Amino acid sequence: MSIQARSLTADPQRADVGRLRLPGDPGSRLTDSRGAGRVGRVLSAALLAAWFVVPLVPLALWAFADRWSFPAVLPSVWGTDGLESAIAQGAVPAFWRSLALGLVVAAIATPLGAAAARALTMGMVPWPRAVGLVLLAPIALPPFAAVMGLNVVLLRAYVPPLAGLVLVLVVIALPYTTFAMRVAYAAHDIGFEEEARTLGASPWTVLWRVHIPLVAPALARAAFLAFLVGWSDYIVTVIIGGGTVVSLPLVIASSAAGIGNDSAVAILSLTAILPPLALLLLLGLAGRRGAASRRSRPDPDPIDPRTARSRLHEPGAAR
Amino acid sequence: MTSHLLLDGVSKRFSNYHAPALNAVTLDVAAGSCTAILGPSGSGKSTILRVMAGLDPVTAGQVLVDGVDVAGLTPERRGMGMVFQRPLLFPHLSVLDNVAFADRVSGVRRSVARHNAELYLDMVQLGGYGRRSVRELSGGQEQRVAIARALAARPRVLLLDEPFSALDPELRSDMHALIDDIRSALSPTIVLVTHDRDEASAVADRIAVLHEGELLQHDTVDGVYNRPVSVRVARLMGGLNEVPGVIVDGAHLSALGRVGLDAGRDVCDGPATLVVRQEAVGVRALGGDVSSDDVVGVVTGLRNLGPRRLLTIRFRAAGAAVVELNAELPPGQGVEAGSRVAVTLPPAAVSAVRT
Amino acid sequence: MSLAPLPGRTVRAGRPGLRGTLLVLPAVVPALFVLGGGIGAAVAQSLGLLPLIGPVRLSLDAYTAQAGALPVSIAVSLGIATASTAIAAVVGFAAALVIVSGRWGGRIVAIISAATVTVPHLVGAAAIGLLLADSGLLPRLLGIDADAWPRLVGGPWWVAVVAEYAWKESAFVALVVAGTLATRVASFDETAALLGAGRLKRLRFVMVPLCLPALVVSSAIVFVYTLGSYEVAWLLGRSYPEPLPVMALRLFDSITLTARPEAAAVAVVTTAISLAVVALAFLALRRTALWR
Repeated sequence: MSIQARSLTADPQRADVGRLRLPGDPGSRLTDSRGAGRVGRVLSAALLAAWFVVPLVPLALWAFADRWSFPAVLPSVWGTDGLESAIAQGAVPAFWRSLALGLVVAAIATPLGAAAARALTMGMVPWPRAVGLVLLAPIALPPFAAVMGLNVVLLRAYVPPLAGLVLVLVVIALPYTTFAMRVAYAAHDIGFEEEARTLGASPWTVLWRVHIPLVAPALARAAFLAFLVGWSDYIVTVIIGGGTVVSLPLVIASSAAGIGNDSAVAILSLTAILPPLALLLLLGLAGRRGAASRRSRPDPDPIDPRTARSRLHEPGAAR
Repeated sequence: MTSHLLLDGVSKRFSNYHAPALNAVTLDVAAGSCTAILGPSGSGKSTILRVMAGLDPVTAGQVLVDGVDVAGLTPERRGMGMVFQRPLLFPHLSVLDNVAFADRVSGVRRSVARHNAELYLDMVQLGGYGRRSVRELSGGQEQRVAIARALAARPRVLLLDEPFSALDPELRSDMHALIDDIRSALSPTIVLVTHDRDEASAVADRIAVLHEGELLQHDTVDGVYNRPVSVRVARLMGGLNEVPGVIVDGAHLSALGRVGLDAGRDVCDGPATLVVRQEAVGVRALGGDVSSDDVVGVVTGLRNLGPRRLLTIRFRAAGAAVVELNAELPPGQGVEAGSRVAVTLPPAAVSAVRT
Repeated sequence: MSLAPLPGRTVRAGRPGLRGTLLVLPAVVPALFVLGGGIGAAVAQSLGLLPLIGPVRLSLDAYTAQAGALPVSIAVSLGIATASTAIAAVVGFAAALVIVSGRWGGRIVAIISAATVTVPHLVGAAAIGLLLADSGLLPRLLGIDADAWPRLVGGPWWVAVVAEYAWKESAFVALVVAGTLATRVASFDETAALLGAGRLKRLRFVMVPLCLPALVVSSAIVFVYTLGSYEVAWLLGRSYPEPLPVMALRLFDSITLTARPEAAAVAVVTTAISLAVVALAFLALRRTALWR
């Protein structure tokens, strides 16, 4: 028999019980540092931030440098020569080709990986370990080896280069999408879908209105990883594309292999960084909005059972 | 392990927008005693343990162990062992190494630490389980290992945060017996947080009733049930009977008539609510003979409560409001809805609280 | 990280059967085709079974023809991979600890490392080149003349190549390890503190053991990746000795008829080394009791 009285003011800590508690969160004493400890922590964070940011600085500087002779620390003349040179080398069509490639790979690899992850997590697959191994294997094997061998097979089978390229990139992206969705399905409660079925929804409706919305954040992450695979690939495009598919990395490579192209290379590199960064930002913002709306859901209005019962017994009270 | 713990005016605020999680709580836990902190969800029970353990700092007030303020001490130095609702056994260590963790961390040699750990495992009746991995244990066994691990750290105070609420009811009574064994072997000071009244009364010497961050009453089990200091405490303890009225000349007057109060209680004149446990109300079916000092009512409701039954009895006095009493009937007594019954209220079980 | 069903969770849809097979088939068939077909064809090519022209003849000529250059290439590849993995693991682990300790510093490092992971390796190579070359940003900032600056790009120690791999992959390791730590860290950290462990002891007895599996897995992934990666070594490295992928691609593009099988042979050798590394990682994981 436990207490039935409810409380109007919920413990604020309990309201956040779904959110991750990190040791340094406010309210926690565990990682308070004093003096030397705090300096060490701030210093290490600063050093690590610098480690990650520093290589990108020359890109930003060179992108708009018309003339930057050694040993000046900053460019002497700023301008858009690099932009013009990049466009002349075919940056714009290469950009669209890479974008299309990334999107196509994401569009194919994400549902494939999600379906496989769901089947594996729910235990519906015979020989799950073998299947899991096959889907994870592309990470363990050097892509150029498989591609060199496959090239012969694809040529003999008269598979068009673009199709072969998409095929190989999808297989390379599969480990990422499968693993990302596997984590999501492990936390997914199939009770939601079963409940929807008992409420009269057909399997198709359950898929669209219950299942996918629940795993949507994980799907977005998996799609992002698959997009990155298609967007950044070089060696597979070179070998299987055989020169017919000129994506952005190929333009960067040919530009970088030359001499005197530094600002063009910088512009091309920035172009190659910005779309994934923008997508990452979108993902982060969408995730934050979802979490905030979950947190602000109000507690249901509690009624003391005694009050309810005594109200029922008042003379004249409606039954 | 026998230390005196005192919370002196402890308040805890998480933010300025919410009400404080703890509001000027003063709690005195005698050395070697077991106090249960009882309250509904959101009452601040977990916060109070975290504040004792040093996992969250206090906003105001002091936590004193053996008279010394522990405010400056980090959790690892306070000597408070804590067992959570989830056992949180380290997955990378075997059962024995889990229990030996505190010793290993303070520099004791591995063989000595493991030997000590064996003793504590024996105490929780898991003697041969040392070599196992934590994944092979059932829920109850995991919680026992967690308790052994906390004890092996030889803490000054043992804090238990709803440790058995995730276990099956049959396992829970085994765990209560385990706590008794530990108490007789080591006499630790224990603070147990729970939302289960039965568990609190089974295990603890004293119960502290916490509601919305305030300590309402800290008393023996009997005191909290039969002499609540307010109607709120009576409700939190599951009391169903509240009869408004007024105290005149050492007795309570209401629609039930004149109910005598024990001399030891607060019997000043004035408005007061009569509270009496439904288990204490005596019920006698009327066969037709009514004596003048019987308090007679009509049974309006009847509900099964396991093997017993809960009666709702309505009393109507001329001109006064309707009063209802709940009474629990032991099995075997035949009373039907609509029948007239006489009710006895033993003075030792009756309490009048100021309104 | 096995893909078998997680134990301890009520798996209600649970029977192996046709439906599960159908769900998994669209992923498994292409994977088998690409991996099996690709590697198989590479092996066949290297053994002379898939010649461009000429008779099919089983032989080990492709391997023996490169017997002189192969050991050097293997050594270079292994050296680069080892150095990159070691640095990435150490820096990534440190970054993961900072990320997981919350607060502003941790959040910033988390965001920046997430951004670093999205940078393509080719772009990273270009960036490192612009940073570490003779006329790069670093010598300018330090005021060192181009002649006095050591040859980091295309130099004898492959410094720029290792730097690029270490830089990008440390972000990857940081995110993987932080992800694993974050789900367990707060509660185990508190438990360990309540048992008397101070900050350093908690690190040694709880945090490090808990993230060892993730560290081993991500390090293995990094090692295999750097072993088989082409573009960075090609862009920032020197022309001789060649790491394995560069050598393979040079042979692949060569017009000599015997070059293709030799390229395939190099590819097969690289694959074999990668498989060996993965097997080693599996064995190492078995020994840490946390493998699930």
